[in-house]
Amino acid sequence: MNPVVLGIVGIIALVALFLLRMPVGFAMAFVGFVGFSFLVSPQAGLSILARDIFHTFSSYSLTVIPMFVLMGSIASASGISRRLYDASHALLGRLRGGLAMATVAACASFAAICGSTTATAAAMGKVSLPEMKRYKYDDSLATGCVAAAGSLGILIPPSTIFIVYGIMTEQSIGKLFVAGVFPGLILASLFIITVLLICRHNPSLAPVGASTSWKKKIDVIAGIIETLVLFIFVIVGLFLGWFSPTQAGGAGAAGALIIGLARRQLDWQSFLNAIKEALRITCMVMVIVAGAMVFGHFMAVTKIPLILSDWVVNLPLPSAAIMGVIVLIYLMGGCFMDALALVTLTIPIFYPAVLALGFNPIWFGVIIVLITEMGVITPPVGVNVYVIKGIAEDVPLETIFKGIFPFLAALIIMVGILIVFPQIATFLPSLTIY
Amino acid sequence: MPGKIDKLEKFANSCGSWLNWVAGVALVGMLALIAADIIGAKLFKWPIPGGIEMVGFLGVVVVAFAIAQTQILHGHIEVEFLVTRLPETAQRAISGIVYSLGMVLFALLAWQSYDFGHILQISGEVSMTQGIPFYPVVYGIAICCIAVFLVLLVQFIRAVTKTKK
Repeated sequence: MNPVVLGIVGIIALVALFLLRMPVGFAMAFVGFVGFSFLVSPQAGLSILARDIFHTFSSYSLTVIPMFVLMGSIASASGISRRLYDASHALLGRLRGGLAMATVAACASFAAICGSTTATAAAMGKVSLPEMKRYKYDDSLATGCVAAAGSLGILIPPSTIFIVYGIMTEQSIGKLFVAGVFPGLILASLFIITVLLICRHNPSLAPVGASTSWKKKIDVIAGIIETLVLFIFVIVGLFLGWFSPTQAGGAGAAGALIIGLARRQLDWQSFLNAIKEALRITCMVMVIVAGAMVFGHFMAVTKIPLILSDWVVNLPLPSAAIMGVIVLIYLMGGCFMDALALVTLTIPIFYPAVLALGFNPIWFGVIIVLITEMGVITPPVGVNVYVIKGIAEDVPLETIFKGIFPFLAALIIMVGILIVFPQIATFLPSLTIY
Repeated sequence: MPGKIDKLEKFANSCGSWLNWVAGVALVGMLALIAADIIGAKLFKWPIPGGIEMVGFLGVVVVAFAIAQTQILHGHIEVEFLVTRLPETAQRAISGIVYSLGMVLFALLAWQSYDFGHILQISGEVSMTQGIPFYPVVYGIAICCIAVFLVLLVQFIRAVTKTKK
């Protein structure tokens, strides 16, 4: 069979297996193995299966994933999310919609020590939703803002999506991490502005909160200083080349552990829970990466990425329009597929075309992360929405999705800003050593 | 028959749980090793010899030994929005197909990992700095794949026989 036709059949079969609820990593490995066996030989297919799995699991560069995941899990178990929320609450709580703004600020801060959208949404949702309910915030605003702001978890470093993208495209993880800093801060500001505009438009959605004394403000801010120091230590260490990404993750996890122990907020049981949680997330991510490696080998022998990139480059369209189409494909795919699954499936196919069009790969990584952020909050898959639904069980899904739309608009504006001013993402990486 | 399935499930779950404990110990070990390597390299100009390769070995244990438990908890990412809208019978039939494909995959992986480990054992391939042999962790992957196979087998039986604990 023609390799290109077989490649297309393989992609269709893969999407069909995804839709049949086969675990994403298993499906990629299975289709990759079958396709490779057809095109090369069954013995070669069997051989790459075992070797790809071993090489992925034993890759030093991929051990960055368990370390940053562990950092987030220990931070969550140590009550850091609670202290971050208390500090944001003290600073912004007295404004109309202040608790929602505080939630966004706390999500942005927690994202600085956690690389997952669901973990950020779950950690901050547990803390902020009861508070907003107590102050009679509108359910739609309260749940929508946590679900959307939780998506900052993969934009502000560390980020599992940046790590996987970096490994698949052989880009520096350190550069990708710092590339997410400014877009993350701008997006957090856009989310806060969104809350402000919503509350100005309809003041009944969010009451004015009680003001906090200066003493209380200083107390709660003092409670998060060590977390800020940890973030700065890890990211600046990475930025200046003191640490490799894995070492940075290890330093972050060890730092979070020390903070939890020093504050006596991490007992043996919560430590064990943090380890179990980190194992589950690490395994989930790494199985997909390993599956993507096998599938990537199959794609390589079909030559589809090369043919697609040649075809795209020769299209009589400006590269910005082609990028627009790629963004649209990701947007639509993100509605139906998990962020990580979408990235691992599409990067081997689209990345050569993006390079051939002359786009900066670091900038493209940030764009991908922004689009996958939209995917985690849009129906029908929107995983963050389900996480929030699990916490706010009495709030209907439609109400949460309704609350998300204004924040989705902020995300679209952010993508537009980044397309017009790519330097926002590329400036810091140009100064980075690692 | 249900009694046998229960026993098989208990066995598969305890395998997954034990392997997960090993993965947890490896994760803590990895953290300790990286922290020690940083302190050694930055403060005493003496990084742990072969630290990178040992972290890589621990990486295999962390991930491979946690796969079975993650499958028990249904922790692997799945795209759920279509199947959950179908009638229960159709859902069970689809689950049966998906679990059986997973069983084929992990049976092949167990076999091939054993084969690969055997090749590495015979060729005497070791890591560059510490000379640690590769084959034990590759055999470890094979054992983990058998455990995942068992977990998938139980989930397959539960799906097709309508028995649910």
